[in-house]
Amino acid sequence: MTRNEQPIIRSLPSGVPGLDLVLGGGLPEYSFNVIAGGPGSGKTTLAHQIMFANASAKRPALYFTVLGEPAIKMLRYQRQFGFFDPDLAGTAIEYINLSSEVMEQELGDVLERIVTETERANPGIVIVDSFPISGHNGGPDQMERYDLDKFVQRLAQHLTTWEVTSFLLGEYATEEQRNPVFTVADGVLWLTQDAHRNSVVRKLQVVKTRGRAHMPGLHTFKMSNDGLQIFPRIPEQTSKRAPQKRGRLSTGVKELDQMMCGGVISGDAIMLTGPAGSGKSTIATQFMVAGLEKGESGVIAIFEEYPEEYLARATARNPMIAKMIKAGKLELIYLRPLDLSVDEALAEILGAVERLGARRVVIDSLSGFEVALAPTFRIDFRESFYRLVGTLTATGVTVFMTAEIAEGFSDARFTTEKVSFITDVIIIQRYIEMEGKLRRVMAVIKMRGSGHSHDFRTYELTAEGVKVGGSLPEYDCIITGNPFLRSTSGAARENPRQKPRAKPRAKRRAK
Amino acid sequence: MAKRLIDSWRDDRAAGEGVARAAAEACGHVYDALSRWVGRDGCHALFTRALAQGRADHPALDHIRLQARAEPYVEGIAETITAHGDVVGAQALEAMLARLVELLGRLIGDDMAMKLIERSIDEPDRGQTRSAGKRGTA
Repeated sequence: MTRNEQPIIRSLPSGVPGLDLVLGGGLPEYSFNVIAGGPGSGKTTLAHQIMFANASAKRPALYFTVLGEPAIKMLRYQRQFGFFDPDLAGTAIEYINLSSEVMEQELGDVLERIVTETERANPGIVIVDSFPISGHNGGPDQMERYDLDKFVQRLAQHLTTWEVTSFLLGEYATEEQRNPVFTVADGVLWLTQDAHRNSVVRKLQVVKTRGRAHMPGLHTFKMSNDGLQIFPRIPEQTSKRAPQKRGRLSTGVKELDQMMCGGVISGDAIMLTGPAGSGKSTIATQFMVAGLEKGESGVIAIFEEYPEEYLARATARNPMIAKMIKAGKLELIYLRPLDLSVDEALAEILGAVERLGARRVVIDSLSGFEVALAPTFRIDFRESFYRLVGTLTATGVTVFMTAEIAEGFSDARFTTEKVSFITDVIIIQRYIEMEGKLRRVMAVIKMRGSGHSHDFRTYELTAEGVKVGGSLPEYDCIITGNPFLRSTSGAARENPRQKPRAKPRAKRRAK
Repeated sequence: MAKRLIDSWRDDRAAGEGVARAAAEACGHVYDALSRWVGRDGCHALFTRALAQGRADHPALDHIRLQARAEPYVEGIAETITAHGDVVGAQALEAMLARLVELLGRLIGDDMAMKLIERSIDEPDRGQTRSAGKRGTA
């Protein structure tokens, strides 16, 4: 057989958003698959979604209910999902209950019934739910295991011969991954629910797909009225990053642009950190408005405030925000649940970027994002953050993030620890005490691939936005929050409030 | 719907046979057809509830007994006809079927319920299911 004569394995759409990408293109036609997972993990719903996406009058679907959820209850609950089309039931989809065969007869009879019904209906899809995977009556003895293995072998052979794409649903414990059923199966989808502290995160893993490369790893998914939605760990790059001029973009704050030699570099990730009330959201809004004024579209993802509150505040700063949302040039995404997965957040933001062709994304704030994540993702926030930033910037958008830092006056933390290496630009804001007054200063700490000012600049929050003032060349120790004035001779004057710190002072004086 | 189902079953019977027996056979047929979808136990539970509800308004159903996994499914027709007459017995069974359709509709939606029952009316292999050649009424 030459290469051109190789049989083509067509891919069937799963009908589950995100799953085809994880499967490497869809479900291989005529494959024999196992959908495994514990009770309530979503096996039946997943199978129904696949069935409704593929059943037709010409190639109907047969849904065999065996053990587990009573068929009438299953129908009652599955009807609640948006994908359930009652018009298909009875025409393209047929439910067949095998509980009598399973309870009163032998496995061979169950197989025979499935075979008979398959030959009669010539289905394209066959689902067996739930398959008595662990033996007839709970724990399988050796004979039952042997019978089960034979049953699965014969069923797989028969269904493949009849050109059926089939699914066995079964409850397995993770340690059962060596079950011979998995050897026979062409594809294995494993659904889990991980409870961590007070949150539950659902995950899907494609353990195996014959003949194609699937996306490895655990992919979070959610269940809503529309059924399952998978959030692939590596989202599809729907908008290919076009070769682009890495030009400068204005932050909307003229003096800040000057501090960065003309603005941020497009496609970069910028992090603005500062304490509460330092004006992070104000600058983020100005950054977005600067793009909108140039005709760009943008997305703002918020995690802390309710959208109405955020919108009211942002619109008060600049009425253009509300106007642009109405005009479809700006989208405000609100993500607040405490069991959010990073992939879900990414999917939401990427979807909006794609819809709008956005060039700028504001994430306000990372602190809120971290709190909104399910605890299991918070444990490794750095990985979550890395994936968020990496995926977004790969689309070519410029990402502007704010992060709140708890700040004492005696120390300075440039950014939330562990994540600064992921960003291209870091701008810090902080409060300082000068002459008995609280003042705000900002500085550019890091800017990859560009020079930048090293000055601390004062700034004020006004009704028009952030107004940046001058630098403070006559002051030392601004970074500590307790700057003190140099003497006119250029020698530093002792700060009466500060404890003597021998080494740094000696060094500075030596300068 | 229930009446149509019984009528369709009666049409198949020889003239002179009672309507109550036709109604009982229609019930047995619905039991067979629905069992295919929801299982014999599930279907029997539905019929049992419909019978209990129907008895409140139709004393003629007092003699009716349903036998899961047995032939015939509806028993006690002879006693019902003796006690209440053929027409009243048929009406009672029709009421029970109507309750069944209502109950099924509440559980899985009216449209799906109607569809399933319609399917059992249109079933091409009527009389050739598990009860082929054996169905009767007692």
